[in-house]
Amino acid sequence: MGGRWKRELPLHFMILPGLLLIVVFSYIPMAGIVIAFQKFIPAKGLFGDQKWIGWDNFNYVMDLPSFAQVFWNTLSIASMKLVLGLVVPIVFAILLNEVKNEAVKRSVQTAIYLPYFLSWVVLGGILIDLLSPSGGIVNSLLGSLGIEPIFFLGSNNWFQTTLITSDIWKNFGYGTIIYLAAITGIDPGLYEAATIDGANRWKKAWHITLPGMRMVIVLLAVLSLGQLLNAGFDQVFNLYSPQVYESGDILDTFVYRIGLLDAQYGVATAVGFFKSIISFILIAGSYFFAYRYAKYRIF
Amino acid sequence: MRKSGKKGLIQVFVLVMAAVLVLSACSGNNDNNNASSESPSPSAKASDATNESASANPDSSADPLGKYDPPIEVTTVRNLSDVVENNVLGVLDGETFEDNRWTRVYEDQLGIKLRNLWVVKGNPESDQYVQKMNVTLASGDLPDFMAVNAVQLKQLAESDMIEDMTALYEKYASPLTKDILSQEGTGPFDAATFDGKLMAIPQVEPSIERSMFLWVRTDWLEKLSLQPPKTMADVLAISKAFTEGDPDGNNKKDTYGLGVNKGLWGGSTGLEGFMAGFKAYPNIWVEDSSGKLVYGSVQPEIKNALKALQDMFKGGQIDKEFGIKDGGKVAEDITAGKVGMEYGEQWNSIWPLQLNKNNEPDGQWRAFPIVSETEELAKVPQKFSTTKFFVVRKGAKNPEAVIKLFNMHLEKNWGETAEFDYYYAPKEAESVWQLSPVQPAPPKKNVTAFREIDAARKANDFSVLKGEAKTIQEKIDLYNSGSEEGFAVWGWERIYGPEGSMGITDQYDKNNQFLIDKFVAAPTPTMVERKSTLEKLQNETFIKIILGDPIDNFDKFVADWNKLGGEQMTQEVNDWYASTK
Repeated sequence: MGGRWKRELPLHFMILPGLLLIVVFSYIPMAGIVIAFQKFIPAKGLFGDQKWIGWDNFNYVMDLPSFAQVFWNTLSIASMKLVLGLVVPIVFAILLNEVKNEAVKRSVQTAIYLPYFLSWVVLGGILIDLLSPSGGIVNSLLGSLGIEPIFFLGSNNWFQTTLITSDIWKNFGYGTIIYLAAITGIDPGLYEAATIDGANRWKKAWHITLPGMRMVIVLLAVLSLGQLLNAGFDQVFNLYSPQVYESGDILDTFVYRIGLLDAQYGVATAVGFFKSIISFILIAGSYFFAYRYAKYRIF
Repeated sequence: MRKSGKKGLIQVFVLVMAAVLVLSACSGNNDNNNASSESPSPSAKASDATNESASANPDSSADPLGKYDPPIEVTTVRNLSDVVENNVLGVLDGETFEDNRWTRVYEDQLGIKLRNLWVVKGNPESDQYVQKMNVTLASGDLPDFMAVNAVQLKQLAESDMIEDMTALYEKYASPLTKDILSQEGTGPFDAATFDGKLMAIPQVEPSIERSMFLWVRTDWLEKLSLQPPKTMADVLAISKAFTEGDPDGNNKKDTYGLGVNKGLWGGSTGLEGFMAGFKAYPNIWVEDSSGKLVYGSVQPEIKNALKALQDMFKGGQIDKEFGIKDGGKVAEDITAGKVGMEYGEQWNSIWPLQLNKNNEPDGQWRAFPIVSETEELAKVPQKFSTTKFFVVRKGAKNPEAVIKLFNMHLEKNWGETAEFDYYYAPKEAESVWQLSPVQPAPPKKNVTAFREIDAARKANDFSVLKGEAKTIQEKIDLYNSGSEEGFAVWGWERIYGPEGSMGITDQYDKNNQFLIDKFVAAPTPTMVERKSTLEKLQNETFIKIILGDPIDNFDKFVADWNKLGGEQMTQEVNDWYASTK
């Protein structure tokens, strides 16, 4: 026992910086929750003589006509991103795995991975130009097919679709690489045995590749469930405008506007606190189900 | 999605956290602030010394225009607008935002060295600037002086973070400053006074300059054989004709009757003037028939105006992308010759319309008085327009410095030693005055200049003109000469020329058409908290109705507005109003 402790001690030290970051950026700021129950005036300081107003900020939030809409937008955008963010890279990884030409495989892999490294600030500007109904390349193409221009970023019918599609396009390369790595780990002997038994490629993918990826899929699914209420601040912030608040405004952008632009710190914190509680319930729930049904555990 | 990773759970606190960490650090230091400035940091010592020598030498520094010797350093925060970046710094050699003719005059003549703690690109209304300002205010780490809006001023005053300026203003403001800043009545100073103490120096802005005009492309009017508008029905008809009549002659339906920006209001491509035509006066407090103050934005007349706009939008007379286009983007459409009318203030011919003129030399614009539904004269709403208040951080070494900057700015432009052509509006860079962090100006200066020019024009004797009026007349002469240089000052002729917009202001004034914002005091407690959110609720609702939401959503908006603080705000405003009677 003592020997093991000694051997593992350096590893425990290595975890310290990570722990420190979590304490500094995740635990200490929790003290800020008090703001949600105050009529907060920043100049007086966090522990200054603030006026306590109980649940007033929460009541105010519930009275805001846009709050329910914002909440549903967040849920629908995030859950669509979550589902497609899992399915698309899996399908793509399996398809790419079937490509036998190494050069093609590698270049496709690199090409789809590239947008992952661009920030939404940059991509936002590019998308606004590409998708513009007057002169954007996408609508010019649609126009040449005889389709009326679609205002992707300004129509409440299209905005969520645009958000989800562009987010998947940006990020699926990352997931694909993880799944490809998982596929590489599958014992080639299994494929050989299946070939001898006369299985075609479709059968092999279904019966060998997919089950072989199961653990990685569950892992990524559980990790992403924690973000069910994170619909992607950077993306929405860089693409939305008041005319698509109805379909595109999410909790994080809502908090940003109320807090940093309207300086209603108490109300903004109340919304954030509300979101944290819901997120906590969702994470705990998803972890429970993963443990129960997929025998998956983090600890 | 993945990038936000583990931060997800507490992401919202990140926002508050930044403020919190800095705050707790600051509040701990608050008591030490004075002590720490006495700590042996060389710069603090130096400014201490300055202060002593300054007070020991009252002859120079106590004088409103006297010099600090040795010089002092004063910090502030700024925004760098497009106009300054491109039209001023872009054309002036050897001047930068940090080192230019204004910073030099302040340093050489007043001994005040200015240093910007931060500079944000864009206008003071831009999200970026507002956000940076809110973070600065929340952190408590203020510069020596800065410009804030009425709501921020009230918060700062209530949390005792800024200096009482009452005695300082009395002592250091020059007679010229006092005279000019009092020309708009007591309103601007009332708005900066809390418990009888003057907590900021208001940069007094004239309400009369907020007058709205209807700018119309008269070459299109002629082409389609239309008459200038006399009623709102005419405006709507012209808008339709400009959209459907192919005024640019390219056989495409690519023109819009009315230019509108996504902010809905403002000095150019705004809707105040349009709505006033329906007796709707958004964003200002007006008196109702019972003598109570009511908020213009929630009155039933707004509904009629929105209905008209919705119909125009349906008819393609308003850009279907207007909801994402800010003033700059709409200006691009105007430049490209796609817009036939817009509501804006008197200066619109200089920007953005001059851009269109440069692009289409045959195009012509003219300002018309705004019109009502009948031939009765329309009321011209005038928002209380002093929105910039200069505050001084509590404990700043030289709290009077900002007043001296005011003195110098006014002196160099309108005082006895004025060099208006150099410091205010030289021909090569019209907006040079905006390089100064403080920009006070005589509220009636434009009307006065117009009246002087107009009188000279009628008497046919321009030799009597001096200062600003002279400079402007030179521009008109230059335009009339037909030279290429003259072409570039077309915008000035459209303002001060015989059919210029200032002539209409004069006419508005003589016809008694002004409808002045009745609320001129520091914001009420509910305004401080809720006004900004309510304004956004209003603008979002209006935009959505114009884009096609049922017009009855306006009634729901009114109910929401009242519930979310509007009713309380109205009560507070009326309490104030009763106390002024």
